Amino acid sequence: MSKTIRSILSLLLALIIIFPILYCFSASLFARTDFSTSPARFLPTTVTFSNYARAFKASNLARFLVNSLICATVGTFLRMSISLFSAYSLTMFHYKGRYALFIIIIATMLLPGDALLIQNYVTIQRLGLTDTYLGLISTSLLAPTSIFILRQFFLTVSKEYREAAYLEGCSDTRFMVTLLIPMSQSLIVALTVQSFIQIFNDYLWPLLVTNSEMMRTVQVGITMLGFSESFDYGPQFAAMATLMCPMLILFIVFRKKIYEGVSTRFSGR
Amino acid sequence: MALGLFAQGKKENDTQGITTITWWHSNSGLLQEATDAMVGRFNETIGKEQGIKVQAVYQGKASDVLTKIKAIDQGGNNSSLPDLVQLDAQAILDIRDNPVLIDAETLAKENNYDLSQIVESARLSQTYKGKMIGMPFNSSTILLYYNKTAFDQAGIKEAPKTLDELATDSQRLLLKDDKGTILRYGFSGVPTTYELCAWLGQQNGLSLICDMNNGHDGIPQKMLFDSNGTMDNFLTKWKQLYATGALDTATSGISASFASGKTVMMVASTSQLTTTLEMIGDRFELGVANLPAVDDKATGGVNIGGGALYTLDNASNHSKETWQFVQFAVSAEEQLAWHIATGYFPVNSGTYELDAFKQHVQDNPLFGIAIKQMRESNPQLQGIWVPSSYQIYYAFQSGILKMLTENKDVHETTLSLAKEIDGYLTDYLNMQATK
Amino acid sequence: MKGKRIRKATPYLYLVPALLLAFLFCYRPFFLTILDSLYNVSLNGVRLKFVGLSNYRRLFASESFHDSWNNTLRFTAIFAPVNLVITFSLALLCNTNTKASRLSHTLIILPMAVAMSSAVLILKTIFDPNVGVLNVILNKDIQWFSTARDAMSMLVVVGLWLDIGFDFLLFSASLRNIPKDLEEEASLEGVTIWERLRYLEIPLSAPILVFVLSNNIKDAMLMVSPVMILTEGGPYRSTQTLVYQMYLEGFKGGNIALGSAIATIVFLATFLFLLILLAFQKRRVYFQ
Repeated sequence: MSKTIRSILSLLLALIIIFPILYCFSASLFARTDFSTSPARFLPTTVTFSNYARAFKASNLARFLVNSLICATVGTFLRMSISLFSAYSLTMFHYKGRYALFIIIIATMLLPGDALLIQNYVTIQRLGLTDTYLGLISTSLLAPTSIFILRQFFLTVSKEYREAAYLEGCSDTRFMVTLLIPMSQSLIVALTVQSFIQIFNDYLWPLLVTNSEMMRTVQVGITMLGFSESFDYGPQFAAMATLMCPMLILFIVFRKKIYEGVSTRFSGR
Repeated sequence: MALGLFAQGKKENDTQGITTITWWHSNSGLLQEATDAMVGRFNETIGKEQGIKVQAVYQGKASDVLTKIKAIDQGGNNSSLPDLVQLDAQAILDIRDNPVLIDAETLAKENNYDLSQIVESARLSQTYKGKMIGMPFNSSTILLYYNKTAFDQAGIKEAPKTLDELATDSQRLLLKDDKGTILRYGFSGVPTTYELCAWLGQQNGLSLICDMNNGHDGIPQKMLFDSNGTMDNFLTKWKQLYATGALDTATSGISASFASGKTVMMVASTSQLTTTLEMIGDRFELGVANLPAVDDKATGGVNIGGGALYTLDNASNHSKETWQFVQFAVSAEEQLAWHIATGYFPVNSGTYELDAFKQHVQDNPLFGIAIKQMRESNPQLQGIWVPSSYQIYYAFQSGILKMLTENKDVHETTLSLAKEIDGYLTDYLNMQATK
Repeated sequence: MKGKRIRKATPYLYLVPALLLAFLFCYRPFFLTILDSLYNVSLNGVRLKFVGLSNYRRLFASESFHDSWNNTLRFTAIFAPVNLVITFSLALLCNTNTKASRLSHTLIILPMAVAMSSAVLILKTIFDPNVGVLNVILNKDIQWFSTARDAMSMLVVVGLWLDIGFDFLLFSASLRNIPKDLEEEASLEGVTIWERLRYLEIPLSAPILVFVLSNNIKDAMLMVSPVMILTEGGPYRSTQTLVYQMYLEGFKGGNIALGSAIATIVFLATFLFLLILLAFQKRRVYFQ
């Protein structure tokens, strides 16, 4: 197949694939009646931004967003800290059972979180952490993949650095902050972004753990805006379009770095 | 929504001798307007006199409201509970033995309220072990909705009164094009638990569906529809309907299908009447009729479904004031206003005597038919109070569909349905802590 | 010396949070899930009576479980290979260096930017027989939510859309990593597309193919959230998956014992499939 045909075909398919995204933006501008026409429409009759206003005013969408942002930020910070300290411990020290403990942490990847939902929920409930931020992020704090990747990288860092720093009275934290982290910058940035997105996008766990509308995260809240019960889909699409924007921009702007980041993982293996 | 932010789990302090009552409900849209209007009227009249202020808060769908109540209850923080809550049938098993419930029977006695003014079938729909646990509030029944224009065109004068007639009518109304694709069905739907309660319970005058008086006297242990022949009877008729080829076994989008003329008949709740009229617009004339009876001996009619108001003990000692509002909400006049605004049945028998009501029924014959059906039904015909309602709903649908599409034997289907549902009942019994 | 003891304990201390989390949210719930599945458990989580494998027997006799099992397996069997073939083919197709294909690379990973619940809600509207544009595009009147077959197809399409961004990304990156000299050799020697696939691209992408396949199998076996938002298991339980039934029984129905039994079965089945895949991979895959 010639290159041109391939290119055109791939572009066509790409457009088909992103159609739902385009539709979301279009539908966010629909008037209410645009949804009940027959046959269904692709484009709005007239462009109305009222859906956006309605989505934020007539619902707790703003609050949902705040909840999600808090969880994602605090959660990512804690998660990265735990991963960093764990990887640090597993590489910069020599002690008994070091490798065994590493395996214990990594082996958790075999246990799918979704199958453990019932018990984890009971745990959180017994601790009185339902409807709390801590309860929401608690299951996202352990990141065995991050620990694995960070450990791999730290292993390449020469022990001499640390020995020298230690002799000079440098504390562990200072060593990490001033040396290790800058050294593994791009890796940490990638892991942080990935962690943020993962916690921000989480659906099932927040759904189960929160009952109060005030504590809902945005991914759950979006399905419960209550507009669709009256076939009034506009505001829901407006909300989703708003949510998508930062992410889409991120992916378009940083697309090169994303591809590179993934490639290096391969050569590493 | 501002109220929501405000009242979320928090209670206003009683200020200057005004008692604030929080009421969590699941009425949205038009229903919320009617709710707020009712609350406004109370606050302006009795509320002002007695220093009571009711705060109505929309808490989502009925199942969401229940989830919230359960969550608070499990957390043990009872003071976060509202004074009054509107719940539907799904909540019955969770609420009826719950110590936080202050049952309606007790409150009525304490306040010298005569419960007999509440319509009997509505009363019984909230009766547990002989006592009323909640006050029925948004009550509805099932109706047959039909496309009168299509009926006239096909020369059918009356709506079908039995399932046999439903089958023959459907066959006449079926429309196909030259290629054999079905353009219009006679009837759309697969029996839901709610519909089966009527179709099974109405047989032979009155039949039980499960033991323990359909669960109203305790936790049901087994289904009875297999041993009393009602399911066999019903399934036979249903199979006949399917054999006409005019039955659309859809489980969703039925109202849209009906409103667009793709199907001529459907069964739905009376509470959908107003929405359906809106959806139809002026496409055709809507007709409603009694739910077609299974056969000539099925005279029980239909049962009442819907939600009720439950008073909760949140350690604030406001049950008396809460009851004042409950009384108001189910008074003859308020129930008339509620009915006109929402289409739900008045639960107060006094409403039916009001001239304004009689006039309203005359002006709105469709509603009149629904009310007539309810009054002609046997008040003892009640819905079932069972656990795992979701699973049971699916069990019925799945089992009936299998029977139709795989042409299974009727009695076999009945037995396997009973077996499957009994399994859920046993599960529930196994979960009870032995005391 | 106190300093030395602190020094010795420090690395362990640094690991404490991770180990605590692993214990609290992975290992402990895992064992408790298996334990609960062997008991009758009350609505509050209290273990009432040891009943051995009775819950499992109840499941295997239950129609609902049969549906969950069949649906989940059917879904996995369709989704995993279809996803692999479509995404890999797409990556191969786009593996040129033209402007258009570079644009494609940017566009095709965009679905990753959309969160699951939003994506499913958008697709739900698109698939709606009354309000959606899909039936308009296809010029057919498919009842996506009322027919078992169509509902399952819809679920597969939704699953594909959710994963396509990530899988395409991995495959594209992997294809890019194929040494240029090998590629040139192949085009010089004039091999056919199929030979090229068989001897060049597939073997060299094998590790990533296995990774994506195993990931997809795991995701498919655990499929729950899209079902929840899209069909709630309907029509007629035809899209009810194992984990969705676990949610229905365990959370909605409060039957912790039964939910735990389903969870254990899901875990075992997924583990088994992955082991099989691993064994298969060890024999066939060519590592660079």
